Amino acid sequence: MVILLQIRESIRRFFTSYDSYCIAAGKFLAALIVFLLINKNIGYSEVLASPVIAVLAALFCSFLPPNFTVVAAAAVSLLHIYALSPEGMIIVGSAFLLMMLLYFRFSPKDTVFVLLTPVCFSLKIPFVIPVAAGLLGGPVSVFATACGTIAYYMLFYMSKSEVPAELTAAVAKSTTEGMLNRFRFIISGILGNRGMLVFIAAFSITILAVYLIRRLSVDHSWIIAIFSGTLLEILVLLAGELHFKTGISAGGVVAGSLLAALVGLVIMFFRFNVDYSRTERVQFEDDEYYYYVKAVPKNTVEPAAPRVKKIKGGSGKDLPEYHVRRSVTEDKEKKSSSVKKNTEKKTPEKRTSEKRVTEGPRERRSVEDRYRSDEARSSAAARMDREVAAKARENRQLRENKNRT
Amino acid sequence: MINESRVKLMTRLAVYEGGEGKKNMSIGSYFRGDYISVQVIRSVICGTAAFLLVFALYLLYDMEEIIAGFYDMDLMGIGKTLLMRYAVFIGVYSVITYIVYALRHRQARRRLRIYYNNLRRLDSMYKKESAGKKN
Repeated sequence: MVILLQIRESIRRFFTSYDSYCIAAGKFLAALIVFLLINKNIGYSEVLASPVIAVLAALFCSFLPPNFTVVAAAAVSLLHIYALSPEGMIIVGSAFLLMMLLYFRFSPKDTVFVLLTPVCFSLKIPFVIPVAAGLLGGPVSVFATACGTIAYYMLFYMSKSEVPAELTAAVAKSTTEGMLNRFRFIISGILGNRGMLVFIAAFSITILAVYLIRRLSVDHSWIIAIFSGTLLEILVLLAGELHFKTGISAGGVVAGSLLAALVGLVIMFFRFNVDYSRTERVQFEDDEYYYYVKAVPKNTVEPAAPRVKKIKGGSGKDLPEYHVRRSVTEDKEKKSSSVKKNTEKKTPEKRTSEKRVTEGPRERRSVEDRYRSDEARSSAAARMDREVAAKARENRQLRENKNRT
Repeated sequence: MINESRVKLMTRLAVYEGGEGKKNMSIGSYFRGDYISVQVIRSVICGTAAFLLVFALYLLYDMEEIIAGFYDMDLMGIGKTLLMRYAVFIGVYSVITYIVYALRHRQARRRLRIYYNNLRRLDSMYKKESAGKKN
């Protein structure tokens, strides 16, 4: 476990040190996967289906806000569908526009789940999404995942492997009657897919269950949330399969849900109680100075310390192992204790690290909440304000004492 | 001399101003009623566009039947049903918008209050420092 914690800490350190590069690389990879999957499944336009275009588009997306990737993916999908059937493009485009008008006006940040849901469906791991959304998002993520599921099923209906023969045969007909038939055919094909409705119901119930359970103030609430959410997802999907005969494989549901639980545990490990706050670079000025400040988040866990191996002495006796870092810190502590016996104050770094290791479930919840919600973030800021004010008060008293003397 | 606690406070203020502070300040510049009204009006416009889009798709879907039975249709009845559905849809959508944006406005005002308190504290730090220099 300690090794895992150290790995996590190394990753966190790496992320906070090279955050701008990591984010750009992550965006590039995500966009590239999205464009390649689109090309593979609905790559009807020969020009757009080229991998070079996909790489260039992904490179472009890595420098722009994440929502741009969603817009670009939607645009590329529409162009591909246009190459198959202009009616299909109108229907899918209308659906995208409806999502944008009705939902994403409220929470544009949630578009990441709309992008991830079709990607996970294409990679045959859709069960991961509700568990991840319940752990990382809120109850509103239900709408985002529902939109993602609808988007996937619309594109899946048009995909190369699934596109109905009637549609491809009808594409050749350019009469008005043929066009109206194709409209009717595509709309009934998409809306009549009961599997989509079962998945939307299962995902919504799972997200709400995971979110509500993880918020409970009980021990191991995250683990309970992951496993109960996974179980609920299996039950709803199997019940949907039995009732609607959607063709969902029971074995696939169980295996996929177990994978989802595993991914949930990984998310919990990396997310729980860890602050991935980025290094902030700010500039400001007052009457006397220009300030160029780089605010670096504090580190919490010591990384793996270098060890000194056993050294054979001249007498053949094994000398004991030394933990270099510990011996150095111990020396420092001895020195400081000899100088300042009365000052028992802990440094902020020490205080944080001790909290991380020893605090109980209630305390953990407060720390986690502090970094999760913006509301809590403001309370953390208020706490820091109080600390700053207390320090200022101390300084003032010291100054007054000096003046008196 | 650089005052450490003042720099910390200024840094935090600058981080807030560069991040969510921008959004909160734009929200905070409105009165509550004005802000919510603007958002509800926007929602009505978006909702109307969405309703018309769905209606257009429905027309395309059922075009053949509509053309075939156009002269036998009870246009008044269809119009009333459509209006009723539109009113219900827009009503529900507007209520949701009202709740969401009322909560957002309250949250933004709360954060701005903390921000203004910090600004006041910074101001008092400067005043004390300048008073110390004069003495």
